[in-house]
Amino acid sequence: MTEEVTINETNTTSAVQSFDPKASASTPEQEGRSNHWEVRTQEQNYAYLPDQPIKEKNRYGKRIDLLDITDVGIEQPEANRSMFINENPEVGSNPNRNKQHGFFFTADNCIGCHACESACAEKNDTPAHLAFRSVGYVEGGSYPDYKRMNISMACNHCDDPVCLKGCPTRAYTKHAEYGAVLQDPETCFGCGYCTWVCPYNAPQLDPVKGQVSKCNMCVDRLEVGLKPACVSACVGNALDFGVIENTPENREQCKTSIPGFPDPSITQPNIRFQQTKSMPIEMTRPDSMPVKYHRNEKGDYKPVIDQKTGKAKHWNFSKLNSRENPLVIFTLFAQAAIGVFFIPFLGALLGVDALINFNQSAMFLPLIITTLTMTTFALLMSVSHLGKPHRFYRGFNNLRHSPMAREGFGLALFSAGCGLIALFSLPTNFWVVEVAQQTLALDLPQLTRDFPLATLIKVTGIFTLIAGFAGLFYMNMCYQIKARPFWNHLQTATSFTGNSLSLGALVSGVIVISTLLVQKQDINQVLTIFASVFITGMIIEGIGLIVHNYQLNRNEDEGGAAHYVQCTTFGKSYLLRNYLLAFNIIASTILLTLQLLNVIDSSLLLVWLVLAILNCFTAVIGRALFYILVIPTTMPGAFFWRNKGFEQHARDIGLADNPATGVAPLH
Amino acid sequence: MLFGRKKRKPITIPQKKVKEWKYTTCNYCSTGCSIEIGLGEDNKIVTSRGHAGADVNRGKLCIKGILEHELFTSPGRGTEPLIRDKHFEEFEQTTWDNALDVTATKIKEIQQKYGRDAFAVVSTGQLLTEEFYTLGKLTRGCIGTNNYDGNTTLCMASAVSGYKRSFGADGPPGCYDDFEHTHCFMAFGSNLPEQHPIIYWRLKEALEKRKFPLIVVDPRVTMLAQFADIHLPITPGTDCVLINSMMHVIINEGLQDTAYIDAHTQGFDEIKALVQDYDPKVAQHECGIDEDTIRNVARLYANAPAAMSIWTMGINQSTHGSDGVANINNLNLITGNIGKPGGTSLSITGQCNAMGTREWSSCSGLPGYRYLENADDRQEIADYWGIDPEFFPKQRGMAQTDIFPAIETGEIKGMWLVATNPMTSMPNTSRIRKMLESLDFLVVQDVYRDVETNQYSHVYFPASVWSEKEGCHTNTERRVNLISKIVPCFANSKPDLWIFNQMAKRFENGKKIKFPDKAEDVFNEMKELSKGQSYGRPRNLDISGMSYEKIIKARGIQWPYRDTDEGLKGTPRLYSDGIFPTKSGKANLIPVKFFNNNEQPCNDYPFWLNSGRVVEHFHTRTRTGKIGNCNKFSPTPYMEMNPDAALALGIEHMSYVRLTSRRGDAVVMVQLTQRVAQNMVFIPFHFHDCVNRLTLGLLDPYSRQPAFKQCSVRIQPVDQAEAARLNVERRSY
Repeated sequence: MTEEVTINETNTTSAVQSFDPKASASTPEQEGRSNHWEVRTQEQNYAYLPDQPIKEKNRYGKRIDLLDITDVGIEQPEANRSMFINENPEVGSNPNRNKQHGFFFTADNCIGCHACESACAEKNDTPAHLAFRSVGYVEGGSYPDYKRMNISMACNHCDDPVCLKGCPTRAYTKHAEYGAVLQDPETCFGCGYCTWVCPYNAPQLDPVKGQVSKCNMCVDRLEVGLKPACVSACVGNALDFGVIENTPENREQCKTSIPGFPDPSITQPNIRFQQTKSMPIEMTRPDSMPVKYHRNEKGDYKPVIDQKTGKAKHWNFSKLNSRENPLVIFTLFAQAAIGVFFIPFLGALLGVDALINFNQSAMFLPLIITTLTMTTFALLMSVSHLGKPHRFYRGFNNLRHSPMAREGFGLALFSAGCGLIALFSLPTNFWVVEVAQQTLALDLPQLTRDFPLATLIKVTGIFTLIAGFAGLFYMNMCYQIKARPFWNHLQTATSFTGNSLSLGALVSGVIVISTLLVQKQDINQVLTIFASVFITGMIIEGIGLIVHNYQLNRNEDEGGAAHYVQCTTFGKSYLLRNYLLAFNIIASTILLTLQLLNVIDSSLLLVWLVLAILNCFTAVIGRALFYILVIPTTMPGAFFWRNKGFEQHARDIGLADNPATGVAPLH
Repeated sequence: MLFGRKKRKPITIPQKKVKEWKYTTCNYCSTGCSIEIGLGEDNKIVTSRGHAGADVNRGKLCIKGILEHELFTSPGRGTEPLIRDKHFEEFEQTTWDNALDVTATKIKEIQQKYGRDAFAVVSTGQLLTEEFYTLGKLTRGCIGTNNYDGNTTLCMASAVSGYKRSFGADGPPGCYDDFEHTHCFMAFGSNLPEQHPIIYWRLKEALEKRKFPLIVVDPRVTMLAQFADIHLPITPGTDCVLINSMMHVIINEGLQDTAYIDAHTQGFDEIKALVQDYDPKVAQHECGIDEDTIRNVARLYANAPAAMSIWTMGINQSTHGSDGVANINNLNLITGNIGKPGGTSLSITGQCNAMGTREWSSCSGLPGYRYLENADDRQEIADYWGIDPEFFPKQRGMAQTDIFPAIETGEIKGMWLVATNPMTSMPNTSRIRKMLESLDFLVVQDVYRDVETNQYSHVYFPASVWSEKEGCHTNTERRVNLISKIVPCFANSKPDLWIFNQMAKRFENGKKIKFPDKAEDVFNEMKELSKGQSYGRPRNLDISGMSYEKIIKARGIQWPYRDTDEGLKGTPRLYSDGIFPTKSGKANLIPVKFFNNNEQPCNDYPFWLNSGRVVEHFHTRTRTGKIGNCNKFSPTPYMEMNPDAALALGIEHMSYVRLTSRRGDAVVMVQLTQRVAQNMVFIPFHFHDCVNRLTLGLLDPYSRQPAFKQCSVRIQPVDQAEAARLNVERRSY
């Protein structure tokens, strides 16, 4: 019997030579086309880009021919320059390669069959937990008058690419070729900021690889005149592609929005739609997002809150502890650090005697070093949040457009300023002078007497102050994102400023007041100043919260939806934070008033300390809520895929440990 | 570059660097799409693409086909033969020789002790036609058991039975090109966008060129139902009432094609008499479709110059499956819609080679649509194989769904399961589990070692899959297409053809019958057997003109394709001449009387339970459950439930519930959607230890196909943490 066993392989070798397009002499399909992509034998019409007349401008007034608006001074300014796809120097044969292209989606036709998604995954080798293109859906009506509308969405290669502008590393490029917005994963350091600003969930942050990648428009196929892989794979005749504003053959509508699609005015996305079938007045999402879409009198569908989890308030305190912890720590420490420096320094500049004295004391250096340490720790936290922390230095590459780059740059300058101040303070610092004298036999004051140290400290200090304010300003600007209405609000600014003041007052107050106490000086004046700043900080934060609550309660968008989650899933934690803040403001104000009226003695420092520490706790809850709650203006998901609720569940029960589940396990 | 960039960033797009494209056909469903697999420099698979020049799919593929080339190395594949004495012991690795020897010895022991039929063979619709034919030769010619069937009993048996009763032989008479010519399209219990996306695309292409009415009969608002011009949300299991009622309208209003009926059918008077009991006024109360709609649809269908019907499991998987098919045939026969462009009765088949097993496996008879009951057929095959015709039984034995219960009664003691997973796929899992547990000997031959049924096997044969082997498929439109061997067999797995051939050597008749090693030599045998006549007319199932070379050149050829035929076209439609393979040459009009024997929703079990397929999964997920980019779209079982019904029971979206039926229970996650009626739930059938723990599966009297889609359940709350744990534990992929 052994004989037959061994001849297994030879039994079953192919009897017929398989079809081999390269072997057949003529490949007419490839003729006249560049070598970027091998056109299939007997390729069908649906796969080729059509030859249609092209409009001069799109509906927003932008030129469709992008060559004319390309920035000058590029390497090869002429029309026929190579894109160097995979370093291939050949120039694409597509005659319209410098025109803005875009997807066309016939929502009437999509059957939700996932062919586009799988064609994309196959071509781009994306793992199961990632996708450049995703199909979600909205549904409405009542059985049997039920309507489901599937939406297939990838990158819209926008006229105003907020991802490109937001990216601190300049990993993004908008090419004159096809208007493609391409991202280089090897430049990306995985901060995920582009995934915050994009309203369509196009950039994909891979938590496993720690970097972002996204739809590349299949520019290799475009170069030879073929439509992207997803379009060519479409089985419902729903997806199409071409020069923007061109309506495909057999289609009669070319509009910019459908139910579930975010406001196109945010980025002027290069996608057009046909959706002629009537939909029910209300369309719901199958995923866990508390958003549905309601038709207004103009026939447009706008997001409204969908109270999916009822109205009951919960604590969910443990859920405040999330993957965003480094950002909670980063922002709080950075803001506090700015406050720690700003309060005594500006106070001294404004001529507060006690603070002028303090700044000239030996304790000024420890205060600056505290500031520096807090900032450094904060920056370290922000770096640890990156997918690729070792690429942190790329964070300033896009100062021209990115608020995040500017935030980082501001904070870096702030740290540098603190460092310089510390350096300039060394020669006049009592302890340093002592140590230098004893160990190295150096007389520092003597050595540096020609340097205008006091002026240097003052000038550097002003510079540092400005850098700190700029850092704080752009930290706030990072969150003023149209795609995240929960953040895109005054509340972000008030919270950041307020925390800077209230937390900064605590730390600098402790250092300054304890110094004055040791020096046996009067602390009444500074205590009043720190207490006032502390209270002001909390009041600013409180006002922001009141306005936020007032407006979001009336906002029928993703911001309102996030607020709904804040008031239900985290309802009790949210209230606790608000009550604590209110209590703190009232208690502190009473305390300060009594102090100013000399009813009580300023020696109630311990009470102040307790209140200030309570405020730290409040600030942490507040900031954790800030990050956990944000709901982006993103595309509807499906029941499993692109459903945050299911992803969380899959992680909780261990289903995510199987890579075929398509949920990155995150541990 | 815009936005101020001057220096270019590298553009890196994965390059597949294909050295050679190899032709093959998809191994999932019966659409029969042509695929080219791209091999890289080291002859490893790097990519695949639809063949743009293939008439079936014209370059398109569905999600499963696009990702199919990833399955060769997926987890859980069988690497070596395994053996054990008792099912509760651990497997030990063994040699092919030993595994085959032990199996052959056990088969013979059981047959000696309990009779030849005490050992059953149950195969599949997944093998290649040459393998089916060889398995038939082995089972009918060497092992000699009459209890031999395929799992096609779970999907296509009703279509086969209905075709045979109406037309005299199996074989779908239409083709996809009919979409281009039809003037009225009616789908019964068929959800093309989800089950057969490429066939849907062909339909959509036809609709974009020329609008024609789309009528969909389905209790659930599927995508196809939503896109229909007229959707008939029928009461489950009552299709025969609807069709009878439509025929009542057609016949009583004189809309039938009398000339066609007279020339090509027999039995019209009986039909005419029967349908008088199905006045739409009465029928509407039974089938849930109002009388106006029934009349409207009936007139539309009858008045169309060409009208066609398709159906899938909504018809087949019911207690009136065979009758349903016969009744659809009745509808098309009385309106003259058989064998003409755009006018047909087209069963949309399930498995990739369900047709191949129907044609050549000898499950229900002898190869090439021959019958055991026919002495000439027995003689012809016995002569061709070189054995005594008396070795053949004179009547077909049990179907799969009768073989399993025969384990309970002790008639069946041993079984060979080939590429089928009854532990997940058959109704009433707990009953199947008990049956498999009690077998004296079970051999499982499958691509995957972790196929759930393997829990109860004594010997496991690791089989090769898809393009690790070579051979043919026949698709829904009778198109024979080729699977090429492109990659070496995985580990020590073997092609099923090789396994059958080796087994044959261990039986007496195996030494008399020729068992060619090469697939094309087997194909040539089938070609020979496909020639000739039946009832004095040339056989329809004639593939004598085909060769692998021609098939690959034509990217599939539709039978009949005789050795005298010129060109590569084949025959798109059967019965275009109005001559049917019955004794009289006329088609039978079969009166179908409806009786409702389904388990109905009641106070204790108030919901209809419906089951079906989702696009990203195939059958019991042994393949698609392991390909992440398929599986992620439904990685865990779920149930569609109406939100209004859920509200009444306090059930929330995305929570778990426990379902109970008179058979058992299942835990599923709830997806609330108005797609289903208030008194119905829908659960995909792909998941192990799930919906089939609940199903009843009453058998169709003709086809023995189970009614998967009609039974009743109760919905109960369940501890969410416990349910989540069960959900993860109940299946390993």
